[in-house]
Amino acid sequence: MGRRAAVNLELRYAVQALPLLLRGALVTLETSLLAIVLGIVVGVALTVLRQARVRPVEWACQVYMSVMRGTPLFIQILIVYYVLPGLGFDIPRFAAGVVALSLNSGAYVTEILRGGLSMIPRGQVDAARSVGMSRALMWRHVLLPQAIALVLPPLTVEFTSLLKASALLSVIAVVELTRTAQQIIAATFRPVELWLAAGALYFVMCFALGGAARWLEHRAAVYRT
Amino acid sequence: MRFDPSVIAETWPLFLRGLGVTILCCALALALGLLLGAGIALARLSRRRWLRWPASVYVEVIRDTPFLVQAFLIYFLLPRYHIRLPATTAGVIALALYGAAAFAESIRGAVLSVARGQVEAARAVGMSHLLTMRRIVRPQMMSYLIPSLTNQFIGLVKESSVLSIITVPELTMASALVLGRTFAAVEAYTVVAALYWGLTLTIAVAMGAFERGMAGGPRPARGRMPLLIEGRES
Repeated sequence: MGRRAAVNLELRYAVQALPLLLRGALVTLETSLLAIVLGIVVGVALTVLRQARVRPVEWACQVYMSVMRGTPLFIQILIVYYVLPGLGFDIPRFAAGVVALSLNSGAYVTEILRGGLSMIPRGQVDAARSVGMSRALMWRHVLLPQAIALVLPPLTVEFTSLLKASALLSVIAVVELTRTAQQIIAATFRPVELWLAAGALYFVMCFALGGAARWLEHRAAVYRT
Repeated sequence: MRFDPSVIAETWPLFLRGLGVTILCCALALALGLLLGAGIALARLSRRRWLRWPASVYVEVIRDTPFLVQAFLIYFLLPRYHIRLPATTAGVIALALYGAAAFAESIRGAVLSVARGQVEAARAVGMSHLLTMRRIVRPQMMSYLIPSLTNQFIGLVKESSVLSIITVPELTMASALVLGRTFAAVEAYTVVAALYWGLTLTIAVAMGAFERGMAGGPRPARGRMPLLIEGRES
């Protein structure tokens, strides 16, 4: 009897925890949304710097991208959270988490942006020029609308990655979905039920975003050559 | 705050052991994950729905949840069925199950990257399905498969740092141990980050060379950026 009770799933623990978990999921969404927005800022900055054609700058960008992609995000989060305060930057944990996520994400976003821009045929620039468009007008009416449509699907995928990666912020005690689950487990000691519930919430969010990415991809197909 | 190399002189065996465990876990997860992943990829490519469906669900569930949650679930699920395993074994299982989904997608993508007409032509001249796969599809899918698998494997290596949370004594755990002894956060994290960077770079460079060797010639497009690492974790 004792053995069976231990093996059975008691899903009511998961159901009871749902309101708290949903609140955690909201923080997860918030964190990832902030991180993708800042990640795009970092990505745009990197993309512009890489165009500069100054050797040391180009080289620094490459090293940055390589380190960000070559080391675990987990270590990056720990460095931002534990090392930066020692250097004189005093930042709260939520901010530290978002900063770590967006610094990491920027290294991937710059590739997405470059890929998107390179898909627009060169002839369009020539055409815009030959009808007398200014640079600003060309960017606004020719390049940006296409570039945005082209980078939106991979950026949505990147957002999904961030959503999953933000689970690591639980380690620095940001109370998002994973941390909320841990707190409830500490009180009820029902780890399997709670991790199933948390996993299900992550799945719903990521699956929905995956669908959105596919839809955007389908719409962007018009611009693909 | 400054960098004190004497900390590293005292604690390097801890880092080395951590690196060893990380390499061991990732190598085991790669082997197990490739086996499982190949099976899943074949199931997803199958014409039979009862094979295709569970494989697709598996891949989708693994890819749409954080590895941390998967690792926690396995770590707590096994004891409930009275399976007592050391943390490292549970960690390898979690990593292999995670890797299998990623590798399966690589393998499936590689098979689908071979032009459909090639398969049809092989079947038309009377080759069996198995022979077509072996003689026609397999050689042609390698140029897609190797870089794709390399990215997934690098992602897996980075993801393995999460295993420290379920108490696997790997490289990230080493930084915590050193921190506990010396309070030297800068040194501990710098060394660990450098070791991870070295590990992923080595994989990227080695697989790049392997790929060039297989293609039978240099490929300047990839060789230009030796520092570029791909492979997103999660």
